Amino acid sequence: MRRQVPLVLCFLFGITMTIQYYVPSRFSEDLKSEVLNWGLIIGPFALVLAIATLVRLHYTRIQRRSENWPYSIVVFVGLIVMAVVGTVQGFTSQGISGGPFEWIFNNIQVPMDATMFALLAFFIASAAYRAFRARTLEATLLLVAALLVMFGNAPIGDLIWQKISPVRPNLPSEVRQWILDNPNLSSRRAIIMGISLGAISQSLRIILGIERSYLGGGE
Amino acid sequence: MIEKLMSLDRRYVFALVGLAVIIPTLLMIRFPIYVSQPTQNIYDFIEGLSEGEVVMIAFDYGPSSLAELNPMAIAVLRHCFRKRLRVIGMTLWPVGATLGDTLMREVAHEFDTTEGEDYVYLGYRPGVTNVLLQMGEDISAVFAEDYSGTPISEHPMMADVKNYNDIALVVDLAAGASVEGAWIPYTYTGYKQKIAAGVTGVIVSQLYPYLQTGQLVGLMPGLLGAAEYEKLIEQPGKGTAGMSAQSIVHLLVIVLVIVGNVAYFTTRRREQNAEVY
Repeated sequence: MRRQVPLVLCFLFGITMTIQYYVPSRFSEDLKSEVLNWGLIIGPFALVLAIATLVRLHYTRIQRRSENWPYSIVVFVGLIVMAVVGTVQGFTSQGISGGPFEWIFNNIQVPMDATMFALLAFFIASAAYRAFRARTLEATLLLVAALLVMFGNAPIGDLIWQKISPVRPNLPSEVRQWILDNPNLSSRRAIIMGISLGAISQSLRIILGIERSYLGGGE
Repeated sequence: MIEKLMSLDRRYVFALVGLAVIIPTLLMIRFPIYVSQPTQNIYDFIEGLSEGEVVMIAFDYGPSSLAELNPMAIAVLRHCFRKRLRVIGMTLWPVGATLGDTLMREVAHEFDTTEGEDYVYLGYRPGVTNVLLQMGEDISAVFAEDYSGTPISEHPMMADVKNYNDIALVVDLAAGASVEGAWIPYTYTGYKQKIAAGVTGVIVSQLYPYLQTGQLVGLMPGLLGAAEYEKLIEQPGKGTAGMSAQSIVHLLVIVLVIVGNVAYFTTRRREQNAEVY
C-alpha cells in the first residue's frame, strides 16, 4: 500500500494536470486553481520534514561525538533562537518585519554569510594561477575565451584598449558581448534542449510509474 | 625564478587579491562604464511604463550574493519610484525575505512614497512552483497578508492588482536557478508575463538563450550590471564603486593566469629538453 497509493496519486494528478493544460474551459481553470491551493497547503510540510531531518542528523552527530560535533550544537542554538524569536515576535507584533528577528538576521547571518562567500575570490584567484593551463586545444579555447570575457567585464579593459588604439573604443566590451551572444548562446541552447528532453522523458517515466526511486528504498 | 613562480605560496596570491580590492576602493578610482544592450533593454522597458503601472521585484538571493545583487535592486527600485510606478516585492528564498524587506523600505524612504499605495512587500511563501502558478490566478490566494502581517486587501494599491495580468514586468534578482528554473517555465510560459533578470556573474552566461528568444526582456550581469543600471539612472552607487576593485582584481587574475601558463610551459620545455639530453 505504501508504494501503490503514491504511484496511483502520481499517475492520476500527472495525467489530469497534463490534460488540463490543453483544455481551456472554466471547469479546467477551477480544477487547476483548486489543485494549486492544495499544493500551497501541502508545500510547507516539506519544511517540517527538512527540520526533522536536520534535527535527527545533528542529534546523531552530537550523540556519537562525530568529527566537529560541537558545530552541531551551534546549529541547534541558531535554529532554536531564530524559531523562538520569530514565533514570539510574530504573535506579539506586526509580523516579523523589523524587531529582534531582523536585527539578528542583519547583524549576524548577513555578515557571516557574505564573509564566507567573499573568501571565494581569494581561492578562485589562487586556483586560476595554479590550475588554469592551456594543456589541450579545448583548454586553450576555454582559457582565451575566459580571459577575453574577464577583460571586457571590467571597465578598465575598455580604458586600456582606448590607450592602445583609437579604433573602436569599446572593443573589449564588444568582444565579451559577441562571445556571450554567439558561441556561449548556441552551446548553452544545445545543453538546454538536451536537459529539457531528459526532463520530459523522466517526467513521463515518473507519471507512468516506471521510475520509482522518488518513493525511497523502504518497503 | 621560474621554479619559484611555479611553487609560489598561495598566501602571496591572497595578499595580492586583498591589496587589489582594498587600494582601488580606498582611492575611489572611477572607470567609464559601457552599458550593454541587455541592461539597456530593462531600463528602456521600465522607462516606457506609465505612472501607476506595477512592477514586481523578486529578491531571490541570500546574504552571500547581496554584494552583487543589492546594488541592482537599489538601482531598479530607484528607477521605479522615480517614475511613480507601483512596486510589489516578494521572494522565493526564505533568506531573501528579510533582505528584500529592509532594502525596499530603505529605498522607498528616499522618495515620497507610502506603503500600501506605492509599494507592498509580500515576503516569502514555501513551494516555488505552486506559488508562481497560483499568483497567475490570484496573488491574494498565496499572500493573504504582506510581510508585516497586514492583510493585502487593506492596501489600496492591491485593489486593482489580482494576478500577472495586472503586472507590467517582473524583475527577478537571482543568485540561483530561479530565472530559468521557475519564472520562465511557469510565469512566462504559463501566463506570458514579461520578465527581466539581474543575476550574479556566475550564472549570466546560462541565460543568454532566453534573451534571444524574447523570454527575457533584459539581463543585468552581476555587479557590472548594477553599475550599468546606475549609469542609466544617473545615480552612481555601490555598483559603480565596486567596479574599481572588480577591474583591478580581473586584471590581476588575467596576469596570474598568463604568468602561471608561461611558468608552466617554460618548466615543461626544460624538462623535455633535459629528457632528450
